[in-house]
Amino acid sequence: MKLSEAGEARVRGYLFVLGQSLKSFLPRAVVMDAVQELESHIRERIDGAEPEPDERTALEQVLKELGMPQRVAQAYSAELTIEEAITTGRVAPTVRAFWNLATTSLLGFFPALGLLLGYLLGFASLLTALMKPIFPNNAGMMVVDGVPRGFGVFSDIPPGAEMAGGYWIIPILIGVGLAILIITQRSATRFLVWWRARRGKFDDLPGWPI
Amino acid sequence: MKKKPIEADDPLDKWREQLRRGGLELAILLSVSSTPRYGLEIIRYLQESTDLVVTEGTIYPILGRLTRSGVVEAEWISEGTPHPRKYYRLSLRGRKNLDEMLDHWNAYRSKIDHLVETAGRMEP
Repeated sequence: MKLSEAGEARVRGYLFVLGQSLKSFLPRAVVMDAVQELESHIRERIDGAEPEPDERTALEQVLKELGMPQRVAQAYSAELTIEEAITTGRVAPTVRAFWNLATTSLLGFFPALGLLLGYLLGFASLLTALMKPIFPNNAGMMVVDGVPRGFGVFSDIPPGAEMAGGYWIIPILIGVGLAILIITQRSATRFLVWWRARRGKFDDLPGWPI
Repeated sequence: MKKKPIEADDPLDKWREQLRRGGLELAILLSVSSTPRYGLEIIRYLQESTDLVVTEGTIYPILGRLTRSGVVEAEWISEGTPHPRKYYRLSLRGRKNLDEMLDHWNAYRSKIDHLVETAGRMEP
């Protein structure tokens, strides 16, 4: 079946949506390669299809069998980002994988929130340790009437409040910050391993990762 | 004894799914072990030679993963074809993996066969 101008536009539209969906999760080179491969697949299928009852119906059938572009993108993203995160254990792929999960499922949202909090807490501890020598009276734990009220770097210290701890808290903050970051990262990787193992039940849905 | 009809949420369905899932990666590797094949060709090959139906939108992400992990190698070929095709073939590492997978598969299968035979002999 040779496509008309309208058919070509439909294929280009499908690939455009697919490319845009993939771009939010994957590096540019991977996106280009994936789109090119799926275009090759679509054109191969179209070549072998008969324009019956009409071109539009036949083309829609080809695209339907491939799945909605967002679903295909989701399958790509899940396979690639989760795999990369698990294999490398690096922060950037882990964040990408969790972003993918958070935006596509409720079950993925809460662990992603936990990951964000873990990173924030870890980096906040390291930042506080870094700022302590520069702003000794503004970094640390703010205590009001003996009760801890906050932790971090404060621009304004309210009357009656004081910053607990001297320079000795710097190594503690570095240790605690690094420990939080390592635990967060390891927990995230374990979660992704578990997530990858449980995906089988979606196999029969078009476009879902196996 | 009447056979109980299999329902959608039947544990048997889950078991079948797990079995299919467990064998799929091996099936994909076997399909590119003797000759390089492109995505659509792998889908058709699996459908023709087994009852493994792989949805089109899922095979490419799996092939992508296998490529990135170095188990298969991919190459774009445009000569002699109406459209450029991405062919996949087993890498050296993939061949070693496949050999190990087949050893495990055969050992597992013979154990299960033995269990089935033993159970058959013990049936009243």
